[in-house]
Amino acid sequence: MAEFRLPINSRIKKGKHFDAPNDATNVRRYVIYRYDPDLDKNPRMDTFDIDMDNCGPMVLDVLIKIKNEIDPTLTFRRSCREGICGSCSMNINGSNTLACTISASSIIGNTKIYPLPHMPVIKDLVPDLTHFYEQYASIKPWLQNKSLPPENSERIQSKEDQEKIDDPAACILCACCSTSCPSYWWNSDRYLGPAALLASYRWLVDSRDDAKNERLDEIEDSFRLYRCHTIMNCTNTCPKGLNPAEAIANTKKMLIERHT
Amino acid sequence: MSNRTRPLSPHLTIYRWPLTMILSILHRATGVSLSVGLIIFSVWLFAIAFGEQYFTFFVYIFSNWIGRFLLVVWTFAFFLHFCNGLRHLYWDTGRGFDRERVEISARIVVFCSLLLTSIFWLYL
Repeated sequence: MAEFRLPINSRIKKGKHFDAPNDATNVRRYVIYRYDPDLDKNPRMDTFDIDMDNCGPMVLDVLIKIKNEIDPTLTFRRSCREGICGSCSMNINGSNTLACTISASSIIGNTKIYPLPHMPVIKDLVPDLTHFYEQYASIKPWLQNKSLPPENSERIQSKEDQEKIDDPAACILCACCSTSCPSYWWNSDRYLGPAALLASYRWLVDSRDDAKNERLDEIEDSFRLYRCHTIMNCTNTCPKGLNPAEAIANTKKMLIERHT
Repeated sequence: MSNRTRPLSPHLTIYRWPLTMILSILHRATGVSLSVGLIIFSVWLFAIAFGEQYFTFFVYIFSNWIGRFLLVVWTFAFFLHFCNGLRHLYWDTGRGFDRERVEISARIVVFCSLLLTSIFWLYL
């Protein structure tokens, strides 16, 4: 049975407030989830008033400014700052997205920032993604083909066949989709989640892969695949504009077609 | 490092619910309420079978405003579950999954079920 309330050690307390400089005219307020594993305390929400005239345009720039100038203990993942590495995924104003591709001014009012939902928190905005990566590995995300490639050549694909995998292969594994999914919240121990299923689909439709049947056998399970109830949060939240829900629907279709 | 177990990040309370997510949970909730409604519906049928006095009593219970309100809610639950069920059948064909269409079909479902409920109560 799903546990809807947060465990006692996870309930959020009020945190500190950091004022903007007195001469700042263009101030935005950021309320950010903080958790320090070294303190024996519950998570808290800290408030930062930021002078936007002296800050970069993206939410990630705000976080970097806070870390550089206000509170160096603020912890978050980031790398490419251009939406290709998937490190800075977090919950910004109620939706999961990448801090580096969402503009600070696109948000009306105060900005609330939480780690990805329903995940164990290592520190501040850094969730533990170990289980998420294990699930990705479990779908065997590599080419399986018993025959050897043609001599002096790659395995050639037609343009149409390549187009089938263009979208699902563009996934950056930021985990925004899986952690937006209520089904994944309640059943992540057994349900693979949209990201792993999108990756699975990417290999199911690959014309060069010949393990389609084995792959379908692996995921044909009332939990692993069929916990998807088409809630559509995954597709709504994907910062790359991909469509895991459609991939899952097509996987279910493949299974039906296999049975008939 | 302390020995505390890692806290769980907040979920339901901080996620901004898109219309599609609201409809999804409503689909489940209406499904449950329809099963309860079905029990009462069969009591109604039994009341008819058992004779006039039982039937009159049953009708009397549901003629006050609470009873009427419940009946309106049940019919709305029925139409919402019905319309959203059709949407799910359409999805099962693998179509209608892009972001815009999902949003449009969600709005159509809400509109149609409100419309059908009002037609049911105003004209039947």
